[in-house]
Amino acid sequence: MADVMNVGVNLEAFSQAINAIQALRSSVTRVFDSLKDGMKNKETLEGREKAFITEFQDNLQAVNRDLNELERLSTLVGRPSESHPLHNSGLLSLDPVQDKTPLYSQLLQAYKWSNKLQYHAGLASSLLNQQSLKRSANQMGASAKRRPKVQPSTLALPPQYVDDVISRVGRMFPDVSIELFRPNGTSAVLLVTLGKVLKATVVMRSLFIDRTIVRGYSENVYTEDGKLDIWSKSNYQVFQKVTDHATTALLHYQLPQMPDVVVRSFMTWLRSYVKLFQTPCQRCGKFLQEGLPPTWRDFRTLEAFHDTCRQ
Amino acid sequence: MGVTCVCQVPILEGKSVQQTVDMLHKKLEQLGAVKQGSFFVDCETYHATSNASGKKRQPSKLLYVMHNSETPLSCLALFEGGPYLTADVNFDVLMVKLKSHFQNAKGHKVESRGTRYRYCDFLVKVGTVTMSSSARGISVEVEYCACVVPGDCWNLMKEFMQSFLGSNVPELPSVFAAKPEGLYAPVDCMDTMVQYLELFSKVRKQQVIPGASVR
Amino acid sequence: MEAPPVTVMPVTGGTINMMEYLLQGSVLDQALDSLLHRLRGLCDNMEPESFADHELVYLLKGQQGNPFMLRARRSLAHPTAPWHLRYLGQPEVGDKSRHALVRNCVDVAASHSLPDFLNEMGFRMDHEFVAKGHVFRKGALKVVVSKVSRVLVPGNTDNIEPLSLSYLVELSVLAPAGQDTVSEDMRSFAEQLKPLVHLEKIDPKRV
Repeated sequence: MADVMNVGVNLEAFSQAINAIQALRSSVTRVFDSLKDGMKNKETLEGREKAFITEFQDNLQAVNRDLNELERLSTLVGRPSESHPLHNSGLLSLDPVQDKTPLYSQLLQAYKWSNKLQYHAGLASSLLNQQSLKRSANQMGASAKRRPKVQPSTLALPPQYVDDVISRVGRMFPDVSIELFRPNGTSAVLLVTLGKVLKATVVMRSLFIDRTIVRGYSENVYTEDGKLDIWSKSNYQVFQKVTDHATTALLHYQLPQMPDVVVRSFMTWLRSYVKLFQTPCQRCGKFLQEGLPPTWRDFRTLEAFHDTCRQ
Repeated sequence: MGVTCVCQVPILEGKSVQQTVDMLHKKLEQLGAVKQGSFFVDCETYHATSNASGKKRQPSKLLYVMHNSETPLSCLALFEGGPYLTADVNFDVLMVKLKSHFQNAKGHKVESRGTRYRYCDFLVKVGTVTMSSSARGISVEVEYCACVVPGDCWNLMKEFMQSFLGSNVPELPSVFAAKPEGLYAPVDCMDTMVQYLELFSKVRKQQVIPGASVR
Repeated sequence: MEAPPVTVMPVTGGTINMMEYLLQGSVLDQALDSLLHRLRGLCDNMEPESFADHELVYLLKGQQGNPFMLRARRSLAHPTAPWHLRYLGQPEVGDKSRHALVRNCVDVAASHSLPDFLNEMGFRMDHEFVAKGHVFRKGALKVVVSKVSRVLVPGNTDNIEPLSLSYLVELSVLAPAGQDTVSEDMRSFAEQLKPLVHLEKIDPKRV
């Protein structure tokens, strides 16, 4: 409200100032008019000169008066643009035909939203930073030196670096074989074969895991034209469930500043499926529940649970 | 193709073959299994005519030619204990051409026919084993399609079989243990047929159940 | 594994009574290129297909009658492909008016355990050879131009020696029994290959 009042006062000064400018202009015009017209016809030469000078003086005085008036008003007007929170865009509020162009209210709305967004993003980022991955923290020691190098732009990492991280992850787990493909451009697609249990297709964007599909060991992972199939789901219900859980894991393991840690954590988690069919549920002690083995693996302890038994 | 276990289920005391099969169907349906068509497995027996066997060979082994509705265009030929051959159905024609050397023991044809059930990733086939048109027993085949390594999923399969076979749960099929790589070698369709062959040989030696003719 | 429900029982026992109609001839090595050129023009428009096969001929000896012969073939170029087992009957006698040799034929695709299995059945390997050459097709007609080599060390297909300075040319059709019109087609096709090669009806027993 204060803003609006302020604008109202300024408006008054504005109109006066505009009037003053007009007055100044006309008085200046008069000066030049009289100069242009030159001396008027009088009986004597002296009379002519005298009349001309008097008129010229009067005119200049009028200009001076108007100028003083304008200067006085200009202090009243001040600099409204600076006092307004939205800077120059605040001037939009001066538009008298608000109903036709509701630009200003829309602008305010957008401003409010962007403020809120920034606030929430700040909260989220601080929360994400707090959530440390304890399991991976030990392994991080070695990679600590490299971290600053990763940080600048994690979405545009050189392919060699991605290859390097993947091959290092592959060496960590002898029962996991990772094949790396780049079917389109630089984005990598991994085919992870876990023992004789499952094959997971992992679609990466730089070092971020975008999508994953888990299928049975005996299932075909290629399309008819010999490319990796990154879309169709497994024919088996077990692996459809595991795919769902793997997608959950992708959302769980988040650490935007250290994508290589995320890849390693995800692989560690995925590797716990090597005993998918051999481990009974840690809660109910059975292998099967509704025809499915324990498909859930705890994110921290990697213990096996049925989907319905986890809590 | 997953890990498969074939076993014989004894006929319930005081019940006919058909009644026992119906009981099994009912148990499977209660479990939530869904009927999915029918199946058959058959087995013809051939023996070499005396003159065909080589001099140094012992009394010639029997040659079995089997078919499985799961692989309708294949023909599986087995000697007990191996070797085994997978061929296409023209192999049957070849056996006709070979009839002067290998005779088909007509009366020995055994087959198992029945209903195919699906429960999650399990396939269950309950069949009536018949030989010369008399019902001789019941076969149950359980396949866990999602896994290819017997050593991985045997306990899980056993738990599943317990849920509808009760105390009749079989031991780990010997065909898996017999492989040089042991239990962790991936299975193939021959493993299933070898198990059926063992079951059929057992049935063949069995006494005919009095009054148990095919429905 | 969404196997379709099995409602239709398969017919046991494949295709009975297929006949092979066969004409044979040979060309000298020097004439090979012009023959291939001619065949490329005459036959169906396809990529020239070449092959390298190892054939083992097995015999099962009984007390009476002729030994039973089976031919087992495997591709050297595609080691994972199934083996091919072939039974060829005695040539049909009679009817001199037929332009081609006619004999019963059974083709079976089989797994790699075939040699062991045949041994167990009582078959013994009689001889083996390696055939390398080209296959052409024109409709149902099949033309095989191949160099036959003997295997010097049993089982070792790298150590081979050509049997002759010429290529074997075979024109064959598989058809159900009684379709003698195919032999007409074969004759007219053979005419078009003259004078590069003379394809004739050759009775293997008289050779």
